[in-house]
Amino acid sequence: MTKKNIVLVLVCFFSCMVFFPSCSTVNTVERETPTGTRQPIADKRIITDVTLNRKVSIVGLNEGATNGGFLQIQIEVLNLRNSMQEFSYNIEWFDKNGMLVSSPSIVWIPKQIEGRETMTITAVAPATTVKDFRIKLIENVR
Amino acid sequence: MKTPSYSYLLYLPFVALIGGCATHTRYVEPTGPRTIVTTEINIQDFSYAAEDMIKSLLASGVVDKAPQQPAVMAISRIVNNTTQQIDTDLLTKKIRVALNQSGKVLTTTTVGIGNVAEDPLAKGIQQEKEFQTGKGEPQRLPDFSLSGKIIEKRDRLDDVHQVAYVFQLSLTNNEGLAVWEEEKQIAKQAKKGLIGW
Repeated sequence: MTKKNIVLVLVCFFSCMVFFPSCSTVNTVERETPTGTRQPIADKRIITDVTLNRKVSIVGLNEGATNGGFLQIQIEVLNLRNSMQEFSYNIEWFDKNGMLVSSPSIVWIPKQIEGRETMTITAVAPATTVKDFRIKLIENVR
Repeated sequence: MKTPSYSYLLYLPFVALIGGCATHTRYVEPTGPRTIVTTEINIQDFSYAAEDMIKSLLASGVVDKAPQQPAVMAISRIVNNTTQQIDTDLLTKKIRVALNQSGKVLTTTTVGIGNVAEDPLAKGIQQEKEFQTGKGEPQRLPDFSLSGKIIEKRDRLDDVHQVAYVFQLSLTNNEGLAVWEEEKQIAKQAKKGLIGW
C-alpha cells in the first residue's frame, strides 16, 4: 500500500468517525402475550412532513376512560431511526358537536425518543364532554 | 451619449447595514413550539408542569370522592425554592382554570393562609350576606387544599451546564391526608460557548 493510499484510508476513517457517531438504541423486553386488553382505534393521518414520519411514527392509539369519566388516550410512538430524535406533540380535544374544547393544558410538549425506542404518551381530556381528539406532531424547531 | 451613473450603488452597503441593525420582534404562540428556551424557568415550563399535574389529578379521580360535587379547593402555600423570583400563580392558575373548566372542582377565593382571603371583597360580601340573612352557619369549608414546592438543582460537567426544576404538588383533604401527590421534573442542558458563557 502506497503512502498516498494510507493517507486516503485514514482520511476516510476519521471522516466516518466525525459524520457517523455511534448511535445508542433501546433494547426492549415485554410479555409475549400481554394480559391487558387494548382498545385500539382506527385513525386517519395527514402527513405533511415526510421526513419526520420516517423518523418518528405513531404506531398505535389506545383509548379508555378514567374513573371520573374523562376520555383517556395513549399514543404509541416509535423511533424508526438508530439515533435520538426530538419532536413536539399537541393534542386537541373536541366535544360531541366537533367543537374545540379549550384548556390551559393544551400545549406543545417537547419529547426526546432514543433510537428504536417505543414511547407511550398518555393524555387525559380536560372535560367529560370531550368525545374526540386530534394529535399533532412536529419536529423540534428550537 | 450620457453614461449611466452607478453612484447610488455606494449607498447599498449602508442601507444593508442599517437594515441589519433593526430588531425583528414578532408574536409567538406562548403554548407553541417556537418559544425561547433558556436555562431559567420559561413560561412554557409552567405549562408543561401544569399539563402533567392536571392530567394526573383528573385521572386519579380523587376529586370525585368529595361528599358534595363539585369539590371545593383552597390554595395553600407553593414554596419557591429556586434562585429565581417567580410568581407561583403561573403554575396554580393554570391548574385552577383547568379544574374549573372540568366542572369537577371550584376554588375558593375567600379562604387563605393566615385568614387572608385572595379576594377580600368577596369575603366581605360573604360575611355581610351571612349577617343580613341571620344565618350563623359557617361557609362551606374546602374539601381540599393544594400545596407544593418548586425546587431547582444545578449541575455542571466540563462545559455542559444542567438545570433541573422539580414541581411538587399535594392535594390534602380536610382530614389532613394527602390524597393526591405528583412530581414533574424538567431538565435543561446548555453547552458553554467558545467565547464567554
